[in-house]
Amino acid sequence: MAVPLIRLENISKSFGRVRANHQVSLTIEQGRVLALLGENGAGKSTLMSILAGQLQPDSGTIFVDGQPLAITATDKAIEAGIGMVYQHFKLVGALTVAENIFLGRPGGLWLNLRTMQAEVVALAERYGMQVDPAALISDLSMGERQQVEILKLLQRESRVLIFDEPTAVLTPHEADNLFATMRKMTALGKGIVFISHKLEEVMAVADRIAILRRGEIVDTVAAAEVASTAELAERMVGREVLLRVEKSPMEARQIVLKVSDLTTPVLAGVSLELRQGEILALVGVAGNGQKQLVEAICGLHRPAPESVRILGMEWAEFFGRGNRDNTLSYIPEDRQGLATCQGLDLLDNFLLTTRGGFSRGPWLDRRRAAEKIGHLLGEFDIRPADPQAFAWQLSGGNLQKLVLAREFYRRPRLIVAEQPTQGLDIAAAEDVWNLLLKAREAAGVLVVTGDLGEAFALADRIGVMYNGRIVALFASDDEEMVALIPQMMAGLAAAD
Amino acid sequence: MTFEILILLLAAAVQSGTPILYATLGEIFTEKSGVLNLGVEGTMILGALAGFVTARLTGSPLLGFFLAGVVGSLATSIHGVVCLIFQGNQVVSGLALTILGLGLANYLGTGYVGLSAPGFDPLPLPGLAAIPLLGPIFFRHDILVYCSYILVPLIWLFFTRTRLGLALRAVGEYPAAATAAGLSVAAHRWLGVLVGGFLMGLGGAYLSLAYTHLWTSNLTAGRGWIAVALVIFAFWRPGRAVFGAYLFGGIMALQLRLQATGTQVPSSILLMLPYLLTVLVLVFSSWRRGSGEAPAALGINEEPVD
Repeated sequence: MAVPLIRLENISKSFGRVRANHQVSLTIEQGRVLALLGENGAGKSTLMSILAGQLQPDSGTIFVDGQPLAITATDKAIEAGIGMVYQHFKLVGALTVAENIFLGRPGGLWLNLRTMQAEVVALAERYGMQVDPAALISDLSMGERQQVEILKLLQRESRVLIFDEPTAVLTPHEADNLFATMRKMTALGKGIVFISHKLEEVMAVADRIAILRRGEIVDTVAAAEVASTAELAERMVGREVLLRVEKSPMEARQIVLKVSDLTTPVLAGVSLELRQGEILALVGVAGNGQKQLVEAICGLHRPAPESVRILGMEWAEFFGRGNRDNTLSYIPEDRQGLATCQGLDLLDNFLLTTRGGFSRGPWLDRRRAAEKIGHLLGEFDIRPADPQAFAWQLSGGNLQKLVLAREFYRRPRLIVAEQPTQGLDIAAAEDVWNLLLKAREAAGVLVVTGDLGEAFALADRIGVMYNGRIVALFASDDEEMVALIPQMMAGLAAAD
Repeated sequence: MTFEILILLLAAAVQSGTPILYATLGEIFTEKSGVLNLGVEGTMILGALAGFVTARLTGSPLLGFFLAGVVGSLATSIHGVVCLIFQGNQVVSGLALTILGLGLANYLGTGYVGLSAPGFDPLPLPGLAAIPLLGPIFFRHDILVYCSYILVPLIWLFFTRTRLGLALRAVGEYPAAATAAGLSVAAHRWLGVLVGGFLMGLGGAYLSLAYTHLWTSNLTAGRGWIAVALVIFAFWRPGRAVFGAYLFGGIMALQLRLQATGTQVPSSILLMLPYLLTVLVLVFSSWRRGSGEAPAALGINEEPVD
């Protein structure tokens, strides 16, 4: 076989104590589509940012055409023929298609609009695309914009094109067009890397599939050897699960959350009950309605009347009350955006949701709050243990513990946690798990996670979400059902 | 009779609109690159003083005009250092430049108040000046007015038809895309700031070398601020800037003539007219288009990527 276009050898990259990539080796071949499959936070984007010259690996070598090459900057990557189609397009909305494609290209003083446009049309035709070179980017659909991004790379004669979750913004029809374009590109000798967590797409378009889990390549298979999406799902989430967290059974008591037949544009009749003293983990591939369910429960989107009851109250009644102490705590996935304010110090972040307890009329009793948070910082082992430190100074694990300390201080009876340990190292993840298990004594906990290991570590019951439904809901010690989880995540097993 | 007065008024509109036109073109140039420079007023008056003093010392108004542009670039380079190197707030830095420029020019110019310098005199263009109607309005001015006629299409061509102009627009619209295309955001913004400052300086020099041949304190009298407003009115297009600048020039010329006729209207009300129009124009522009035409990254500093 010919020398591969690109070969990664033992690439490792850590951010603090978090290993984003560990000893990753991959080859990207001419005329082939390599799919990089993995959950959010598995290290796919880090790996590709290294290839695109945005990040430097801690160790390991990248070979281009068999020669080792240090890709120290974005333009080095472009020179080496590596092009990236970003999730967020790098296009100027106020400029035309042709202007965007030729932006920054060398040439004389004057732009020859007619030649530029003709060249764009010719290039597009060669790859089976149709674009109007004179159209403004801001007038184009997402699919058309993506085509412009691709044309930009083709015009620069990129030989390897990396697509980062390219179908996330596309309609199904546009996605089909994209796959057709990809096939055309491989037929014309380009190498393609396709990053995704959508199993069907990976099966449809890839020649080889590399599976990343917690920063490591756990499997590389030829797509032809994969029998089904279920097999792929199993390889992606892994079988071996660490049960390092001790958990004793709790007696489930009163119902704190009742969702009945909740239907939204994404959700198709979701029902569940959660009792004080239990943890219910919802697993599934991201984008199957988990986000919409959580947003309805936590008051971010209004559900239909009588479909969500919290602590025995109708949704509207519950969120109509001012007092949120002793009730619901939401631990969002986006801890740097939704959960905390990066530019505020820890005390102010603590007061974001607990200020009710520290106010006297219009005044805040900051001294009492400072005392309290000083105490909590020690108790939850948050570093730096300084109320005056800013949120942005905290590592992911410490920030998450701060959010938990704040939310548990309110003595919630219902806790909703989204991906509570995503991006945390093992030690921090275990701390978070232990805290959630402790909170279970007084509350019902709903955990949404893409990490099966986390679900097994925490949950009393497990629900599997697929395509806007909870396809199965069972006790976490029901081994028969647990064995079916990969199939159910891929929407194959019709279980009840 | 009234018709002749109208022609004279329109010719005066062109003349008093010209310094505003230079400054507006300068600000368009700067804002296209994504930098908001509120220091137009201060830059203009520094240019006006530099031009005046140079012309007086050397006897060459042309050299004065050119040096006014250089001093304009020097003045806005302060803005560039603050915003492009130290990532300072563009609004605050621009305001500071205005205050600094006004203070410095009035202080340095104290000794020149009331003095005159050689300047530019009207130079009717042979042939063109004889055209009825258009001739007296447009072609019986000084050479700097004719320069501005050429400048407008040149700037338009630069932005729409040259590689550098395209890059400058991209940097003002979406710096991340420009960076991804291998362009330096900072370098292109420097270009926008310096060329813009040059044009603002020329606008100032027009006031001291052609509009009057005198130095007085507060010579610019708010014209820099009008230019800032006109950029929005013009939707960042050089062609529309001409229209706006002459409209304001017309109002300024009109209020001068009204004062001269000894009208009953208090002069302070008349003096207020151009600024009142500024407010109306801004309301009108935002009502018509919103700020949709503004460069998308205007006023936002681009943090350097490590």
